[in-house]
Amino acid sequence: MSLSPFLALLLVPMPAMGAFLLLGLGPAHLERRAVQTVGMLGAVAPMAVMLPLGAYCLAGVCDGVQPIFDLTVGDAVVALALKLDPLSALVGVTVTAIGACVITYSVDYMAKAEVPDQRRYFALMNLFLASMLCMVLAGDSIVLFLGWELMGLCSFFLIAYHVTSARAIAAGRKAFLITRVADALLLAGLLLLFLEAGSVRLDALIPAGIATDEVRRGLIAALLLGGALGKSAQIPFHTWLPSAMAGPTPVSALLHSATMVAAGAFLLARFAPFLQAAPLVMAATAVFGAATALFGAVSAVFQKDIKRLLAYSSISQIGFMLLAIGLGAPEVAIAHFVVHAIFKSLLFLSAGDMTQMARGTTDISAMRGALWARPLAYLAFVAGAASLAGIPVITAGWFSKEAILAAAWLAGPFGVLLWLVAMAAAVMTAVYAFRPVFVGLTRIDRPRPTVGGLFTNVPVVALAIATFAVAPLVEPMVAFLGGVPPHPPRAVELLGAAAPFLGMVMAAALTFVPRLSMRVSRARRLRSGIRIDGIYQVTFVQPFVGLVRWLTGQKGGIADPVGTLPILGAERLTAAVVRPFAHDPLDRGWSRFSAGLVRGWAAGRRLQTGRARDYALALAFGLALILLIAWGTTWR
Amino acid sequence: MALTALIVLPLLGGVAALLAPRLGRDAERWLSIGLLAVALIALVVAWTGAPPEDAPGEQWLAMVRYQYAPALGLQFLLAMDGLSAALVAVSLVLGIISVIVSWNIRKDSGLFHACLLWTVAASNGVFLSMDLLFFAFFWELMLVPSFLLISIWGHGDREAVALKFLVFNAVAGLGLLAGVFWMAATAPEITFDAFVFAEMGIPPVAQVWLLLGFALAFLTKLPAPPLHAWLPDAHTMAPTAGSILLAGLLLKTGAYGLFRFPGMLFPDGFHVLAPFGLALGAFGTIYGAVLACGQTDAKRLVAYTSVAHMSIVLMGLAGGVHFAMMGAGVEMIAHAFSASALFLLIGALYDRVGTRDLRELGGLMQTSPRFAAAFAVFFSAALAMPGTANFLGEALVITGMFQVNWVLAAIALVSLVISVVYATRLLKRIIFGVPSRACVTQDLDWAELGPIVVLATGTLLFGLLPQLLLVVLEPAVDAALAPLARP
Repeated sequence: MSLSPFLALLLVPMPAMGAFLLLGLGPAHLERRAVQTVGMLGAVAPMAVMLPLGAYCLAGVCDGVQPIFDLTVGDAVVALALKLDPLSALVGVTVTAIGACVITYSVDYMAKAEVPDQRRYFALMNLFLASMLCMVLAGDSIVLFLGWELMGLCSFFLIAYHVTSARAIAAGRKAFLITRVADALLLAGLLLLFLEAGSVRLDALIPAGIATDEVRRGLIAALLLGGALGKSAQIPFHTWLPSAMAGPTPVSALLHSATMVAAGAFLLARFAPFLQAAPLVMAATAVFGAATALFGAVSAVFQKDIKRLLAYSSISQIGFMLLAIGLGAPEVAIAHFVVHAIFKSLLFLSAGDMTQMARGTTDISAMRGALWARPLAYLAFVAGAASLAGIPVITAGWFSKEAILAAAWLAGPFGVLLWLVAMAAAVMTAVYAFRPVFVGLTRIDRPRPTVGGLFTNVPVVALAIATFAVAPLVEPMVAFLGGVPPHPPRAVELLGAAAPFLGMVMAAALTFVPRLSMRVSRARRLRSGIRIDGIYQVTFVQPFVGLVRWLTGQKGGIADPVGTLPILGAERLTAAVVRPFAHDPLDRGWSRFSAGLVRGWAAGRRLQTGRARDYALALAFGLALILLIAWGTTWR
Repeated sequence: MALTALIVLPLLGGVAALLAPRLGRDAERWLSIGLLAVALIALVVAWTGAPPEDAPGEQWLAMVRYQYAPALGLQFLLAMDGLSAALVAVSLVLGIISVIVSWNIRKDSGLFHACLLWTVAASNGVFLSMDLLFFAFFWELMLVPSFLLISIWGHGDREAVALKFLVFNAVAGLGLLAGVFWMAATAPEITFDAFVFAEMGIPPVAQVWLLLGFALAFLTKLPAPPLHAWLPDAHTMAPTAGSILLAGLLLKTGAYGLFRFPGMLFPDGFHVLAPFGLALGAFGTIYGAVLACGQTDAKRLVAYTSVAHMSIVLMGLAGGVHFAMMGAGVEMIAHAFSASALFLLIGALYDRVGTRDLRELGGLMQTSPRFAAAFAVFFSAALAMPGTANFLGEALVITGMFQVNWVLAAIALVSLVISVVYATRLLKRIIFGVPSRACVTQDLDWAELGPIVVLATGTLLFGLLPQLLLVVLEPAVDAALAPLARP
């Protein structure tokens, strides 16, 4: 067997996995520097492996599978493999780059934490990254699901990073539980596909899925969509993401931009050829995507907390990606995935840098005067916000969002409806993107400009440059993935270009007109995500808690009623069968007999008088009796 | 020969352990470990030896046939296939682990180790015997040492709990015994040979009744609701080693019985009763998981998760399709590792802080990081994270359920979701949070870490390289399913 260049695929997740193992199982005492170095190397090395692979792919050889090992279960062959194709190459490069930036940034951000906490943090971040890479590079459904599910586990531990905070733990559990529902749906979908195909290779699954009957195909596609909606925090599963802000900011940066949340969009893009065979599910994807895009954008406008604002922003942006996938343009969705990964991690990292000054609070007001207090981070944030809002021509965000809007416009009358929704969402996006920017402009007293450390600034600056540098690359990206960049009529394109400016004006109004900003801060219902949480409380959580309390006897009943059934049955049986025999009837007979005997003896004892004449009399009677009998026997 | 040693060595070793404390300090402990290690070698010898010539099937790896009492038709008939080999290996490893974790037991230490060895011997007897009278004998024999373990070295209300355990299982065992005798009586010549019973063509109606009798014994051991009430009590009150053997061996004997005999002896009965088994499994997996969510005693919580997971095994066994049966086999092994490890950890915690009440624990991550890491690993196993053997087992069972009935697959998936609730609850209450006063304690020492590492290795090894386990189980599963195939 000759050495295939795709062998390098195996190396991509390895450094991150190795860093996890080293930090998790390594020597009991590690220096702070050692922890930071291992953590950082584990995250940077995958990029060093992935970039040449991406270049190799660009050079033209971009379709390869690297087998890991085969399993046989009965007739089915479970052939695990990694796969390099344009999709996995592009997303792989993005994920490794973002992962390297975020984890490098963490070195400074987490510098004040205790060494064991830091160790846990870097170990989990590396595992998180490795899981996402497994999922992205997976050539079969098992490795894909492995990465998918391990991300849920990592996100639980990372969201609950502050282990003494009840709020953080609750947020972690909520995130884990909701995404686990999604995992279950995805697992069901993948297993059904496996049963159809008799193989787990994606190359075999998708054709086999397309070849099945319509009902089954629709069901499997719906299950995959359900999985993606849950993981990507789309309506109606979105509630976990805003709560998940309890974790450290770099965790959010990684979770939102390149891993976990974005994974849902990647999954659908991966299975896009299959989904396209189920038109109903495609339509549903588009509708859910558009609805979530608008809902997320509107909710984001009313947030007070910068991290929650960015959370709703991710919900909304991934809605855009789903919209594109639903419209049959997964290439465009992935281009937006890449651009979103860059600007969203940039926004989180720069916002984290700015708010770190504000003693723990992440309220938007903590950003006041950021331009003067933390100029570099502020400018980077502005770059990110510009891309998020889609400022035309110079930012990457404009190109990718414009492509999605174009795809909607070109998709017939239904598409135009979705285009309207998406346009509204685009305007609202600019509103929420620029609100923190304008807050940062307000003057404060005695500004003292500071800059963060090297590890903070290098990733932030690199990402800020990337938001602009990637702009001309968006269309080539779509072409690289095998799609055709859509172009709507010029007038529609101009409308799309006007949207961010309209949003900016509204944002300025909301920030600087006191009456309006008061209104915004009072809109509590819109802030809390249309109360879906409350609905879940009433429909799922409370009945479940009630059931648990009833079954464990905390409501005054019997604990474990079903388990008690045999015991109750045995007690009934005892009452019915054993008790009548408790005073054994046979035994009663015997004791009556013995009592009779005793009475007989007592009576017989009276005969023993001890007087000679009584005995003589009895003797005489007896003799007479014998003689009488003897005489009687002589008759004949 | 080597097969006989697997049973006889620990059986006689138990007697020796009874006397060993007179030889010197810790003599009985080293003796037990040594004997079990020798038995492990015997297992390897039996496993790798040439396949038996007189075996009635391809799947048998080793066999011993010895006329024990020919006049009664009683043979000492042992046979080992892939599943029994794997289970015997697990029982020997868990035996060694339970000796190591009870190093500080001083009360009647000789008898304690005798009980451990006898439990291992009896469960090995169950896993290997194909003469059903011996099978039933070992089945009942298993109860005695466990009864003693709970009632002498247990916690709390131990006598009552030990009695409950004994009564439940002894009564249920009668079903098995009655079935065995009925079959012996109707056989052409008196025998207890399972292979003869399999050939003799039991009438379908009788098969249903016989299977009911057998299943009563097996389902109680498994345990499936509503026959599970003994398990949470027994687990909670048993000493750590007792909990490990209960979870790792005793529950597996029930699953093993359901794996081995319904298909082999009662294929017609199986087809009649399998839907009920599936329903029972589906009910049990949700019921156990929901109850686990509400427990305040850490050991009880894990005990109810055992009900949930073994119900998944039941679903796999009753499914009668290849994937599900494989999944059940894998899940048996995986659960033996993960549940034992959780009991070990909770036992170690209890020894240190004197409470298992979840409301009083907390903060282990800050006071003892290794403890917390070990909890996190087996937490993932309890959740059936991909990469653990538990995931392999459950995924295979769910795959099989999709072939049987989609509703059942959906129920198993719901149970997978509920597992997040109880597992995160365990984690939240034990390793997260502010360190409670009870939890300021020393970290795991090497004697505890060793077994944990072994169990974690098993869980992850079979999870990441499943072929190791699948190859072993495959022939056994094929053979178990062969009689079920309908013409």
